[in-house]
Amino acid sequence: MSSSETKHSPLEQFEIIPLIDIKSGNLDLSVTNSSISMIITVVIITLFITFSVNTRAIVPSRLQLLSELSYDFIAQLLKDTVGNEGRKYFPFVFTIFMFVLIGNMVGMIPYSFTFTSHIIVTFALAAVVFIGVTILGFIKHGFHYFSLFIIPGLPWYMLPLLIPIEVISYLSRPISLSVRLFANMLAGHTLLKVFAGFVVSLGFAGFLPLAFIVALTGLEILIAFLQAYVFAILTCLYINDALHLH
Amino acid sequence: MNNSKNKLKNLKKKIQHYEKNKTDISQNTKNSGASFGFKISTEIVATLVVGVGIGLVVDNYFETSPFGLIIFFILGAFAGLLNIYRVMRRIEKQ
Repeated sequence: MSSSETKHSPLEQFEIIPLIDIKSGNLDLSVTNSSISMIITVVIITLFITFSVNTRAIVPSRLQLLSELSYDFIAQLLKDTVGNEGRKYFPFVFTIFMFVLIGNMVGMIPYSFTFTSHIIVTFALAAVVFIGVTILGFIKHGFHYFSLFIIPGLPWYMLPLLIPIEVISYLSRPISLSVRLFANMLAGHTLLKVFAGFVVSLGFAGFLPLAFIVALTGLEILIAFLQAYVFAILTCLYINDALHLH
Repeated sequence: MNNSKNKLKNLKKKIQHYEKNKTDISQNTKNSGASFGFKISTEIVATLVVGVGIGLVVDNYFETSPFGLIIFFILGAFAGLLNIYRVMRRIEKQ
């Protein structure tokens, strides 16, 4: 019990540590613990999908069933929100869903790094969705896409007030999308570490926060799944908005 | 022959039973309180951030400080309320 000697901050887990230094001009391309955990995530997804559907059995094994389940989950989601035209965008939504989900789950392993708890990562993901959806809307509708900002059935004298509001609401999409995922993961992991600190400092009564941590870890796994689901469903809704104007 | 028909019927009942339970579970996860709160709060914060950002840029460009900030802050707040209204309507539909 030497808790007073070294003080560990609950935020220490989010520190980015460069492991291999690579500098190219002004760019810092170092391999950090964040990028390592992203590579691990991508490797896990690739191995999981390729090996689980490799057998192509009619009566699937459990692993194949798992990947079929995740396929079905996203396919159903797209069908429910976008309709049949949404099938084209399945690879995009599935990739984003699996990347966020497995990234969150890799972060749940003790001593690992949660890259979704950094806003720059989630904002980059959300920006890809936002820019992609905007380009998609302009390709499908041309300049008619701007009518997205006009609520149908509105008297003309309300337009100068409501168009800026609609534009702000449209621009806030990537921010709310990224902040939601980032804040959930950051808050959950910080809470876990704070309670872990209580276990040591409370001495014998430490079994109470310890029991709480077990319950909280379960909740964190639920949130990790739920946030990936929310990210995917909002991507689907934005694609729907771009395809079908009002 | 009859036996296998009965088996099939039983299987059908079992599947229907599981299907019913499945929809119940998905309904429960959708209504999780914490995620609902996050959804609403991020909606307000995001629109306010965008509103204030646009306001500051406008002030910088046209040197109208502080009116751009004030106007776009209010517009951002309205946009947040509008977004929340839409989220609520979507939840009500489900």
